[in-house]
Amino acid sequence: MHTRKISHLSSLWIILRKEVVDNARDRRTLTTMAVSIVIFPLLMFGLIWFLDKTVKEETDLVNAPALKLPVIGAEYAPNLINWLTQNNIEVIKPPADPEMSISKGEYRVILFIGADYPDSFRRGATAPLRLIHDSSITGLEKIGFNTVQGAILAYSGQIASLRLSARGVNPETANPIQVNVSDVASPQARSGQVLTMMPYLMIMFIMAGGMYLAIDTTAGEREKGSLEPLLTQPVKRHIVLLAKLGATIVFSSLTLLMVLIGLGLAFRYLPVDIISISVGIGKITTLFIACLPFVFAGCALMVLVASFTKSYKEAQSYLGIVMLVPTLPLMSLAFMSPEPSFSNMWVPALSQGVIIIETLKGETIALELIGLSMICSTILAAALSWLAIKLYQRERILG
Amino acid sequence: MIEVSNLRKYFGSVKAVDGVSFRAEDGKITGLLGPNGAGKSTTLRILYTAFRPDAGSALIDNLDVTIDKLAVRSSIGVLTHGAGIYERLTAYENIRYFGELHGMSGKELKIRIGELAELLEMNDFIRRRAKGFSQGQKTKVALARALVHNPKNVLLDEPTNGLDIMATRGLREVIQRLKDAGHCVLFSSHVMQEVAALCDEIVIIANGAVAASGSPDQLRADTGQTSLEDAFVKAIGSEEGLI
Repeated sequence: MHTRKISHLSSLWIILRKEVVDNARDRRTLTTMAVSIVIFPLLMFGLIWFLDKTVKEETDLVNAPALKLPVIGAEYAPNLINWLTQNNIEVIKPPADPEMSISKGEYRVILFIGADYPDSFRRGATAPLRLIHDSSITGLEKIGFNTVQGAILAYSGQIASLRLSARGVNPETANPIQVNVSDVASPQARSGQVLTMMPYLMIMFIMAGGMYLAIDTTAGEREKGSLEPLLTQPVKRHIVLLAKLGATIVFSSLTLLMVLIGLGLAFRYLPVDIISISVGIGKITTLFIACLPFVFAGCALMVLVASFTKSYKEAQSYLGIVMLVPTLPLMSLAFMSPEPSFSNMWVPALSQGVIIIETLKGETIALELIGLSMICSTILAAALSWLAIKLYQRERILG
Repeated sequence: MIEVSNLRKYFGSVKAVDGVSFRAEDGKITGLLGPNGAGKSTTLRILYTAFRPDAGSALIDNLDVTIDKLAVRSSIGVLTHGAGIYERLTAYENIRYFGELHGMSGKELKIRIGELAELLEMNDFIRRRAKGFSQGQKTKVALARALVHNPKNVLLDEPTNGLDIMATRGLREVIQRLKDAGHCVLFSSHVMQEVAALCDEIVIIANGAVAASGSPDQLRADTGQTSLEDAFVKAIGSEEGLI
């Protein structure tokens, strides 16, 4: 009879190794990982390519077709119309109901010139114009409005200078301040908006990479009836759970690593002009290490949830929802672009999201902030693991 | 040796085990006979430390199952109900995994698995992955897994469930050999013929309590029946749930 003692550490290692071998033979686990290395860059670059193309078309002033601007009362301001035409704006006949056609989206902007315009202009007073547009339309659609407004303001400025000169006043008197803008954003930082999607996808893949293991090693094992024999081996239950969590972390972090490598390769070899980012070994290593505590927390969360579900199916449907939980803090990334600070870097998922964006942008984050993120996520991971261990020690775990 | 005394386990208002006492000696086969839901599995689960009893005591080789859990688990080999094995591992890997958890390794483990493969006639599928194994093959793997560390005490929960005639015969032979080698074998069953054919001691359980116990001869004498099966039915009070 073999009653020799076996250390906790070697039990942990034996179980972890078995789970890794077992799941490495599972097609579902492997597919998730393989998909992550191919799909992730494709998703990213599909998106970037699309934005790239749209922005180019909208902002290409040289080859762009003339902006079509319906003008009401064009006959009152022939000079202004000339000016607009010179600025690549084609004046067309207005629709019958201007407000309606704007809200329907037929036109972006319509210029209204009132009958009092010529009179005010001649008197040297301020002549009123009205631009009709829909401010709820955001983004690239607004370029039309800004172009027209810009052209009109430039015209107004010219007239002002002419009027002052005619009255013997130096036009500079009316311009006490001139604002010169210099943009210091690096080309990488300008691609920042495109990068806000990145944390979402990465965190989803981290969760997906460990999901099948979390289910298979807990709910799955119970459903197959192999959990009970395992728990009758001379191994403490918390060691069994920690080993299973360990195996989940192995697969989840491998997925993360593959995603990062895929990203690096994609940035290197895919031709995209809008975004000029290089993801080298250094960035990959930084991101991998900085995200590792989140991998712990995510895996612990999944193992915790999977251990109190009764079957594989049930676990699968619960984890589908649980996978989305870490993406909630990331919402704020889409609405505002938070700068890393002590007030936000303790939030798991969000802090990793900020680190991902800032690192890819090529900006540096203070080490203590990265440390804060790592420590807080690790504390969360420990708390979730502790809960999972408590659950695992109940008799009901056997179902 | 297994000694159970006045064991109780309630699940809410359900008295799964309600005062069970018996002894299973080394070198003997002890059978727990009873209809489904009588409390056999719960009793075994308490013995292999999966459940904690509400009252009473259970000793295996004088070790309390509620205190010396790890030592108890080292000294028992368990075939649980259902006997799930890992489908993506080969039969060999399944057995090796549990051997390693008992601290075995290297050549010793390899030789032991070879012995078990021979004993349980597993050589033609020992290197195959377990996916697609028949119920008989799965049970053999689970049994080999339970016996890999050569445990002094062997607990089998409905071991012949789902086995065909040949596999059942093979299993009986293995149980007989374990007895001959001086092991304490405790198995549960709801099949009267099986218990009658194998057991030296029979514990009849009904409604969570021991209805009768003793050697086959004693049981016949106590109930005044000439056939063992009639004795079982008399002791339990009905034929319901028995085969």
